[in-house]
This record gives sequence, structure tokens and C-alpha cells, in this order.
Amino acid sequence: MKKTHISIILFTLLITACNKFDEDINITTNEPSQASGMQLIAQAQLSLPGLSSSPQGEFMAQYLAETQYVGVSLYPEESTSFYPWYQGPLADLQAVLTSEDLNANEGPIANQMAVAMILKSYYFWNLTDRWGDIPYTEALKGNENFTPVYDTQESIYLDLFEQLKQATQMMVSGDLSNDIIYGGNISKWEKFANSTRLLMALRLSEVNPALAQSEFNSALNDGVFTSNDDNFVFHHLAEANNENYWYDQVVNRNREWWALTEGLVSIMKPVDDPRLEIFGNPNRTQGQYIGLTFGEEDQIGTEEYSLLGDALYAQDASIHLMTYAQISFALAEAAHYGWISGDAELYYNQAIESSLEQWTGSSAAAQSFLAQPDIAFNQGNALEQIATQRWVHLFMFGYEAWSEWRRTGYPSNLVQPNGVAVPTRLAYPDNEVFNNEENYKQAVDRQFGGEDPIHGTLWWDQ
Amino acid sequence: MKCKITVLMLLLCFQYWTLSAQEKFISGTVTIESDSMPLPGVTILVKGTQNGTSTDMDGHYSIRADQGDILVFSFIGFITQEIQVSQQEVLHVALRESMQGLEEVVITALGITRDKKSLGYATQEVDGEAFSLTNQQNVLGSLSGRVAGVQVMGSSGASMGGTQKIKIRGVNSIGGGDQPLIVVDGTPISNANFSGSDQADYGNLAQDVNPNNIASVNVLKGPAASALYGIRGQYGVIMITTKKGQKGPKKVNVDFSSTFSVESAYDFIELQNLYGGGSSQTFRTIDNGQPYVDMSVDESWGPRMDGTPVRQVFSFYPQDAEYGKLTPFLPHSNNIKDFYNTGTTFSNNISVSGGNENTAYRLSANNTKVEGVVPNSQLDRTNVSLSASLDLSEKLSVLSNINYATNSGRRPSQGSEYGGSFMVQWFQRNLDMNRLRNYKYDDGTYLHWNLGRPNSSTGEITDYEPLYWNNPYFEAFENTSEDKRDRFFGDVGLRYKILPELEVSAFIRADMFTQNIQSRQAFGGTRLPSFSIGKYQNKEFNYEVLAQYKKSWDNFSLDASVGGNIYDREYTYLYQATVGGLSSPGFYNIEASIDRPDVASYLLEKQIRSFYSLVSVGYKGIYYIDASIRNDNSSTLPEDNNSYWYPSVSTSVVFSELLNWEPLSFGKIRASYAQAGSDLSPYQTSKYYGVGTVYQGTNTMYVPDNLNNPDIEPSFSNSFEAGLELDFFNNRLGLDFTYYQQKNKNQILNLDISATSGYSSTVINAGLIENDGFELSLNATPVQNDTFSWDMTFNINKNNSEVVSLAPGIDVYTYGSTTYSSVTSYLNSYEGKPFGSLVGQAYQRDPATGQILLGDNNMPLYTDATHDFGTVLPDFNGGFQNNFRIGQFNIAAMVDFQGGGQFFSRSKMLSVRTGQDILTVATNENGMNVRDPLEEGGGVQVHGISASTGEQVSAFVDARTYYRNEVGRRIYEEWLYDASYVKLSELRVQYNLGQDIMSHLPFETMSFALIARNPVMIWQEAPKGINPSEISTGAQSISWYESGQLPSVRSIGLNLNVTF
Repeated sequence: MKKTHISIILFTLLITACNKFDEDINITTNEPSQASGMQLIAQAQLSLPGLSSSPQGEFMAQYLAETQYVGVSLYPEESTSFYPWYQGPLADLQAVLTSEDLNANEGPIANQMAVAMILKSYYFWNLTDRWGDIPYTEALKGNENFTPVYDTQESIYLDLFEQLKQATQMMVSGDLSNDIIYGGNISKWEKFANSTRLLMALRLSEVNPALAQSEFNSALNDGVFTSNDDNFVFHHLAEANNENYWYDQVVNRNREWWALTEGLVSIMKPVDDPRLEIFGNPNRTQGQYIGLTFGEEDQIGTEEYSLLGDALYAQDASIHLMTYAQISFALAEAAHYGWISGDAELYYNQAIESSLEQWTGSSAAAQSFLAQPDIAFNQGNALEQIATQRWVHLFMFGYEAWSEWRRTGYPSNLVQPNGVAVPTRLAYPDNEVFNNEENYKQAVDRQFGGEDPIHGTLWWDQ
Repeated sequence: MKCKITVLMLLLCFQYWTLSAQEKFISGTVTIESDSMPLPGVTILVKGTQNGTSTDMDGHYSIRADQGDILVFSFIGFITQEIQVSQQEVLHVALRESMQGLEEVVITALGITRDKKSLGYATQEVDGEAFSLTNQQNVLGSLSGRVAGVQVMGSSGASMGGTQKIKIRGVNSIGGGDQPLIVVDGTPISNANFSGSDQADYGNLAQDVNPNNIASVNVLKGPAASALYGIRGQYGVIMITTKKGQKGPKKVNVDFSSTFSVESAYDFIELQNLYGGGSSQTFRTIDNGQPYVDMSVDESWGPRMDGTPVRQVFSFYPQDAEYGKLTPFLPHSNNIKDFYNTGTTFSNNISVSGGNENTAYRLSANNTKVEGVVPNSQLDRTNVSLSASLDLSEKLSVLSNINYATNSGRRPSQGSEYGGSFMVQWFQRNLDMNRLRNYKYDDGTYLHWNLGRPNSSTGEITDYEPLYWNNPYFEAFENTSEDKRDRFFGDVGLRYKILPELEVSAFIRADMFTQNIQSRQAFGGTRLPSFSIGKYQNKEFNYEVLAQYKKSWDNFSLDASVGGNIYDREYTYLYQATVGGLSSPGFYNIEASIDRPDVASYLLEKQIRSFYSLVSVGYKGIYYIDASIRNDNSSTLPEDNNSYWYPSVSTSVVFSELLNWEPLSFGKIRASYAQAGSDLSPYQTSKYYGVGTVYQGTNTMYVPDNLNNPDIEPSFSNSFEAGLELDFFNNRLGLDFTYYQQKNKNQILNLDISATSGYSSTVINAGLIENDGFELSLNATPVQNDTFSWDMTFNINKNNSEVVSLAPGIDVYTYGSTTYSSVTSYLNSYEGKPFGSLVGQAYQRDPATGQILLGDNNMPLYTDATHDFGTVLPDFNGGFQNNFRIGQFNIAAMVDFQGGGQFFSRSKMLSVRTGQDILTVATNENGMNVRDPLEEGGGVQVHGISASTGEQVSAFVDARTYYRNEVGRRIYEEWLYDASYVKLSELRVQYNLGQDIMSHLPFETMSFALIARNPVMIWQEAPKGINPSEISTGAQSISWYESGQLPSVRSIGLNLNVTF
């Protein structure tokens, strides 16, 4: 019996002495625990084409019509999630901005921070333009705040101007590694930050022209894009890991689901727009450019209409997110308003020229194109002309074109499928009702009287 | 490592004790006379002395006695025997049942055998026969309906032993992942599952247990029973005991059984046979005027199938005999059914068992070959098991169980997007499966049915790449998925009897497997060709020491155990998948990846170190009290806070001993209280980054979507239960009733949070989910005589759950969601409601009348996806088991039932949306087909209230728009079904050859049986074609929606049993 007692005691002691495990037993070796600032930024850059590559965006701007399974283009009352942007690129950028161990081997730390701030601001600008009020100041705080409050669009705009200014002010000389947009060239980032401010300022032309004008000029003075070389472009690669969204859809999945809209073809075809043959393919039945009426449900098909152009769904097709032509159109508009000195026509011509260069690889056709009576600048109809040509230029960045349509009302030929008007915002994600109910309710009460409609009007869209 | 050494040293200590033990004893085995099974727990006393002992788990005993002493063998429920000791040292005894009092010995936690009457908590044992009754492929499936409080959700037989999910006493974790621990002969084994929610269903790994080897299964339902498993015991334990050889006079038994069965798919959704493929009722034509079936449309909203000669898809293949020809446009009403083959299962099992005075062994082997009902699906499984015990001396025994299982399968894909399951959802009613069967022309071209339209001027198809769906035979034969698994599990140990009352044992237990999975997408189909391969290795060891002390005095009995355990798991995998296509057709290898392949190498390590103790005291065989405690240290918890205690206490009173009322053979009341817990997977307490896509030499890195938590604690459940057991008329009628309450708090949740925080979920300790309910088990023997007997068992349980609280500030927990055509539905849990609400888009209704609100186009309006349709969990479920013996026939029938619960059926929704369902050709109130033009009286009649005018509306609307664009796409309310059913799940009719014939045969016994699995769904609330008992949703632990479920399969076969 004694032996037993001893062994039990001994055993107990040994077992209880065993509550210290190897130090690293619960530390994963499957993932890195050290972050790299520029690699986080690079990951955030990989999400950039997603801002543009979306059928829903194309439908908002009525660039493309559905050739089969017509549904999303009928503007159903459906919610659209903004979660991927927060948990994706914004969380990565926030990790850079809050990191305490950025490494200067990847370039000056100040510049890493500046680029992270610029990209973060650029994403937030896109988000607020789509949804309206969104979580901003309290967002991205992890376990410090699981239920961030929604900030008003106005306050977000005001802060974004400041953030972008701060970012350029903190820049020092020295390039960055692992930058897949501008190859680490910090002066390009500076121009991009200023150009973003310029376009944001223009967005306020209706709601607060005075502020719009002053921010516009401030951005312009700080230096914006001066050629297509400055464009903010994501270059896809000819390999599956980094391929264009439309390649996967059209080639891999065999989805010939998108034809150019009647509205687009009717604007481009009569003026022999040289960009049309890039934007779409001739139809297969006659070899003609025929647009499909947006929202058509019965007379649909893939043979009779011009489908999305080959070049646009190439595996390595580039996504243009901000361009010199866009800046030029903005300058034309500002000149037209008298915000800046200079001739609106010159800016307009410069915009079209650089657009043709961007889309077709050459501006050679610009002169003859600009000579067409419907294209040549007409002071009396300047705003519509600028806006409509900007809409053509922004082809495939539907969300941006839609924002400009909401602000200016041009092009004027957008249709209402089954009588449903073009939405004026995206509805908040359904799961915000579950996950962040109080703040969600507050936001929809404040903006839309408790509803969350896709036809609600945003602050700058008054 | 230090701990492993400690355990080994303890093993050596036993060796030392062995050497010092030299006393002489009389030893032997006590068995049950009727079936020769060993009888543990028998009290053996030298008459007139205090000298006594009891038999061990194998019925073995040894006792010091002198010649002439009288040994008294007693055990409640058996007739006491007295035997005088002569010169022999070995004395085997067979006790005869007294038919008085329920005297069961049960194996409880940690393999400790207990007299059932002393237990203060509910356990329910299932006899081994149940598992080989109809040759089920997956042991867990056989538990369905057999244990009160256990719900088993199966999967279609087409998956050949696919996932069987088990829930004990409702859902006890808000995360839904509560699966009981599975223990085979004391060895915890992995019940992991490599399946996702679609594609191949590899099944849960408990399927590696050979059903023919099972002697019994004991379900420890609540924490009171499983508290001794501590951090692994929160969700109950399923203890499987395998058959063993017997010590005793030298004897060899050989059992052989062979089963052959055929399987057929039945139960399909009812589809229409009037309209064929297309989107409008007129044919499209090519320029030469020939009408053709629109092969670009994967729906059946096309023209009437009235025999009109048309160009069908085959006629556009120049290789086809009917190239260019017009053929009649006719329905093929069984086209989906025709896809499925008649499957076969051939299973052979042999076992050799026996023993002599100091050894017992059993060796068994089983092979099962299945040809599935889905073409080209198959499974081959072999199990070999050896269990042996050897007495090295009178005090020291060596014991071992070793099981080997090997599987190789080619399993069908399930889910709406894979394999042939799309056919109910997106297909043309005119397609002839017999034409599609030869899916490859002689020149290698694949025949597909879903292609781009022909060029109207040439009348030729230019691109033969399928659009959205492959030929289902192409899916079955070219896009294959293969899996292989080799597995060893078992134990080796020593048991040492220090004193007659004190026994110490030490075991090393292991479960090791290697799982290989590879799958391919072939050239010539809808998807980019690809190949993936994964190798998953799991090694789980348990090092265990247990000391047991058992002693009886005059009125008191004491049963005490102390033990310790080290659990050590290492899991690794290497997974690779091609990206961007394959470089050469037919070469399926990672080397063929066109772009940088996906690669993942993974290592997981986990340890739990435990100490435990159990004391049970009995008084007069009437009053019992138990207490246990366990301490667990888990490596996955934060380092400074990783040690937790789990106590339990229980009591029982055998009041029938006090009453002495003749009809009541046995009566007991019991009550218990316990705490058990559950920890979390490794690596959830520290921060790390994800590795992203490589962009031209730039590696990327991201912040994971889930936020880890350095302050996590284990979850705890507190449970209380009380029960009553009654047996009347010498066990002819019995009742076992349990009421339980279980509070599961501090759940470890991957809580969905607003991703605006930067994370979409976080690991937290939160929440309280309460379950309470009752379990009732009734058994009766209404008839019992020489030629006819009838035994029945009826089990039922009812469980109520309530999510009492979630995290601070959070009152909804999303378990899962599923999205189709941008419409999402959720499984949510809300504070203050039962677990698991189905949430989705409902009809908008007029608050006053409850009528559906209609829009200006008379189409129903719908809510956003936040409508709560209520819980998916059933109100009650159970089983009804009947065994008849009529002369030489034995008939066993098992009925399962479930009341309540609900699920969403995507198959049904899509079959309506695509115009295949019979609903879409109904005759309307005008006596016209709903598809007829509105102006001719066709259309679907809708009733409701106009949202804009508030007026009552009753109008006809276009059937296609109504079903395809509205109801069949957006209104999920229409596609929710009650999950109630009553099913005859197993039937066996066995004929035993009589002694007169057997005397001419070289066998001891021989029987033939006709067996049937899933022969009849007696009743179900859901429409035909969706089986509520098989909503697999793959490996998701809660079944709440169905999407491309494999068809139900009925199996009928013959079974031969021979013993030598």
C-alpha cells in the first residue's frame, strides 16, 4: 500500500509539474509574424482593380448590358457589401500606419507612411461616393471598436483633403521597393495625391462651390498629372495569379454576358469614335457595331450585339483608375466655371487627345475627331459636352462615371429598365444590421429617414 | 517530452512490482452462461472470510484461497454460485442470469467499468448487433434513433459512407461545432472531416471503425458522464467497445459473414414533361429555316415538346450520326434518373477469436467494395484488427488493440455547382441521357449539351467549349476526385494487480493517419483544367496511467480511481494546386501548372496534460454517491492561463430495494451536476500575417480577416440532470427518463463582427447557450415464448435551446451564409431566441391581414435578407426499434423520426426557377396551363394587397417572370421546408438454419438474411425529392440548407453468416 501512495503522490507531482509547454508550441510557423510595410502596401494595391472591375459598376453607368440572365442590370433593391474593402486593403494599410517596426530597407519610412495614407484616402473616397456616410474615424480599430460609428460624407471629404495634404507634406526624397503601381517613384505618388484632391474638389461643385473652388486650386497648385505617364493604372499580368477580372469571366468561365449598350454605341458610332473598336467587337451576325438596349430582357443574345472588346478582357489588360484625360476634363470644367484661368476648350481638346492616346495608343486621330461638329467644343453646351465625353473616356470604370453622372446628370440618355431609375447610391451590407445595428440605424435615419434605399441622395449629390 | 519520459518510468515501475509478486492465487474467468461473454464486476468471496475480489473488464479474477475453501460468485441479476476449491489453480465459472433486477455493467469514462445501478447519470448502450444489422458504411449512422438524445444527420448513400453528423442533447455551442469525442477501446480517435460544403464528401473519419467489430457503443450524453474527459468532454463522448476473444478453456471461434447489396437512387424532385430547353416558346432558327433547340440556355422555359422536328444539340456535331438532321422534340421524362447506375456493395468479414487460460485474442478482417450509383464512383475499404491480452503472471497482463484501416475512393461531387447535381437545377427536359452517355466521339471531341448558339448564317457551331455546364458524364469520368487513407489506431498497455482491490494500468494510445486527396478538372470542360493534390498527416498520442481501487465492506463499497494523461497531437499537410491551366492534356501533375502553383505547407502541434480522480461510495447496494475532478492544461490557451479544473458529482438511490413491491423489478432515481469544457485550435492567441499573391517578384502580405485574441479561456458547460429508471415484471417493461439542463458559457466563438473594424471575425469568449430537455427510452417485451418473441425499444427526446447572451454589444451571431444570384440567406443566432434561425428574404406582408403585398406589376414584394424564419433545429426526434423472433426467423426493423426543424432547399428553388419543376406547368384557375399567354387565360394567379393602393388584388402574371425572376430567385420564404419525417431506416429478415440441418454441415451456426437500408420514407413534410434526413451541407456542422443534394439511395441485399 505504501508503494501505491508514494507512486500516486509522485505521479500527481509530475503531472502537475507538466503545465509549462514549449515556449513556441502555440506560435504558428505557417504564417509570418513579422510584417513588411511595403508588402502590406503591395497587397492593398492588388485590390485596386476591384474598384473598377465590376459588372454592377458597368450597369450603374450603363456601359454594358446583360446578354443572358438579365438581373443585376434591372437595378434590384439589393445590398452591396463594403466589407471586403475594410477587411482587405484598408486593414492592410492601417497595419502599416500603426506599425512600430517599419523597415527603412524598403525605402524611407516617411514615404511608406505617405503612400499608405494616400491609398487609404483614395479607397475611402471611392467608398463614400458609393454608399454615402460610412464608418471612417472609428473604423479599422480592431478590438478597440467592433461597432464603429458612421461619419457623414461631408466630414469624410473634409478629412480626406487634410490627410492627402499631410501625406505629401511628409514625403522625403528616396524611392520605395515593392511598389507595383509607380515602381517606388515618390513624386508620382505626390501627383496622384494632388490629383485625387482635384477630382474630389470637383465632386463638390454642386453642394459647396466655394469649397470646391478653393480645394481645386490648392490641389492644382501642388501639382497634378501632366501626361498619361502619370496615370494611376493597375497593370494585370499574363498569368492566372494576377489576371484581369474580365478575362476570368469571359475566357475562363465562357461568360459572353456583356454587350455594349445601345446608349454607348449611339453616342460613339455616329461620330466614328476611334475608341469604339477597342471598347467592343462588331457583332457576329453582320460585323456591325450594334448596341443592346440596357435592361432588355427578351431581345437578348450574343450573336446580334457588340460584345465587350477583346483588348479589354485580355488576361493582362490594364485597369485605368485615374488618368491625365480625367484631370484635363476636370480642368476644362473648372475653366468653364471660372474657377481657374485658362481656356476650357484647350483643356477639353487636351482631354480628348490624351484619351485617344490612352485607349488607342495614338492621338493621331484626335484632330479629325475633334473636327466633327458634334465633338468640337461648343461653349454653349460645354458642360454636357465635357461630361458626355468624360463618360465615354471613363468606359469600364463604371462607378466613377456613375458618380459624375450623379453630379452632372450627363450623359442624358441613360434609360430606366422597367421604369426603375438609375440608382443614386449603393445600399449598405445586410450584415451591418446584425453586426453594427445601432450605428447603421443612426446613419440611415440621418440620411434617408430610416430606409436604406438605392435611390437615396448623397450629400454632394444635392 | 519530459512528460513522456515520466510515463515511461511509471511503466517501468510496474515492471518492478511484477518481479516482486510471487503469491499463489486461484484464477479464472467468469462468463455469462447464455452467451459466453465475459462478466466483469462479479464479486468473489471466500466463504466465511473477508477475503474477496471481483472480476476485471475481461471477466478475469484471481483470489487467494486454500483447498477446501468455498468460493462464492455473486453478481446482481445472476444466480449466485458456490464452488469448493479442489486442487486446481484455474477455475472458470459460468453464471446464469436470474431474470431478477436490471444488472448491467457499463463501461464509463476512461474505460472504467461500473455497475449501471450505481451511476448517477444517464448512459445508453447500443448493442453491437445494431451496427452490422444492415451493413452501414459509417458507424455513426447506425446510432440514428437508437439513443434518446442523440440526433444523427446523414448523407445520401450515393456518397458511399459520407458525412454523418451527430449532436447530443441539442446544439451546445453557439458556433455549432459541438461534436462528441469518439473513443474506441479507450483510445480517442479523430473524427475529422476533409469535406467542404460541396464537391466530394469524404465523410467523417469515425468511418474507419469496422462496424462488424463492435461489441457495444455507450453514449455518455452529458458532462456528468463525460466530466472525466475534461476539456474534451463538453459535448459528450461516444465510447465504442470492440469484440474480444475470451480466456478460458482453449477454443477457437471463426465467424464469417458476407453481404451483397444493390443500391438504387430513388426520390427525385417531380419535374414537368411538357416544355423543353429554351427561354421562349418559339424555336430559334438558322438562316436555312431549320428550327433548333437553344443550347445556350440551361433552362426549360422553351417550346412545347410536341414532337416537332428540330435540330437538337447532337445535330451540330459533325462527328455525330445525326449531324444536320432534324429529330422530334420530345420529353425524356426520366433523363435525370437515367444518369444514375445501380450500385453494388460487396462486403466480407472474417474473424478468428479464442484464448486459453492466460491469453485471449481476436483477429478480424473486413473488405468492402462499393460501386456507387453515380457513374464511375467507387470505394474500397479494408479493415484489419487484432485485440489480444496476455497474462504474464497472475498479476500482470499485457493488453493491446490494433486497428488498421485503408480506404480508397473515387467519390461523386455534391452541391449545385459540381458533378451531375446541377441537373435538377439547370437542365433541359428534352435531353436524352442515353445520348449524353457516350460523351466522347471517336476523334476525342467531347459531346456537351450547353454550347453557344450556332452562327445563324452558316448554321454551324464555332466553339464547342461548353458554356456553363459540362455533360454530366464528362463530370463523372473526367473531372474525378480520388482519395486514399491509411490509418492505424489502437493501444498497448499493461495492467497490474497490486492487491486484489488495487489495479494499476498504463497505456500508450495512438491514432495515426495519412489522407491523400487529389482532384482534377479535365481539358474540354467549362473550367480551366487543373490538378490539386494534398497529403494530410495526423498523429495523436495519449499516454495514460490509471490506478483503480475497489473494495467492499459489509454495507459499504468503494470505487476509486486516480490517473493522468498526456495528449499530444501533430498534424501536418502539404497541399498544392495548379494555377492558370495545365501545360499538356492528360498530364495531371503540379509540374504541369502554367503559372506559379498554389502551395501550402502546414504544421499544427497541440498538447493537453491532465490529471484526474474519481471516487464512488455505495451503501447497502442502494445509495451511491460519486465525485470526480479533472485538471487540464492545454497548450492552445494563453501560456499564463492554461490550467483549468472540471468537477462533477452524482448520486443514485435504488429505491426498489426499499419498496419490495413485486411487479417493480428495479427502480432507481439519480441526479448529477458537472462541469466540462472545450478549448480551441492552436494559434488563435497570437498575431500573424497572411501571405498573398506574388506580383512579378513582389511578395505581398496581408492582415488576416480574423482577429486573434491573446486572452482566450476555455469554454465551460455546467450541467444538471435527474433521471428515473424503472423495470417491471422481470424486465418485460422498462422505462428510463432523464431531464437535463446544460448551460454552456464563455463559448469560444469566431464571432462575425462588422468588417469596418478591419476584421470580419474575432475569437472571443462570449455567450451563454442553454439547453434543456428530456429523454425517454421505453423498452418492452410484449410477447415472449418459445416460438415467438417481440422486443421493442422506443426512444424520444425533446430539446429546447436558448441563446441567452452573446458578446457585449452584439446580439446576433452569424453561423453561416449562402449566396446565390446575389441573394444571401443566413443562419443566425439571436439573443433570447433558440439557436440557429434561418434568415433570408421573405414576402412583404400587409401588417393587418398578413396578406402578401404586391408591386405595381402584381409581382410579390419581398423584404431584405433579414427576415427571421425561426430555428432550424427539430423539436423532437427519436427512433422505434422492433425485434421479432418467429421460429427460426429474426426480424429487426428500425424506424427513425423527427418532428420540426426546417431547411432551405436551393434544388427546389432552382428547379422552379429554371422551369423544370412540375409546379411551372400547373393548370391555373382558368383551366389553362400557367405558361399559356396571359391574354389567352394563362399565367399564375397571385393574390394579395397592392402596396401602392392598398387594394385587394387577384391577378394573373406571366409564369416565367413570376417563377424565374421573382419567386424562384428572391423569395426564400417559398423554399423553406419543415424537416419532419418518419423513415423506415433499416430492415433485416434473418433465417437461422435449424439444428437438424446444421448437424449435416461443418458449421456451428448458419443464417441468411435479407437486409434493406432506407427502404421506405414513410412520411415527410417536405416535397418529394428532398430528403430531410440527409441534408448534408457537406461538412458544415449544422444542416440548414440543401443545395444539389445527391439523390437518396435505397439498398437491398443478402447477408450470410457462418460460425465454425
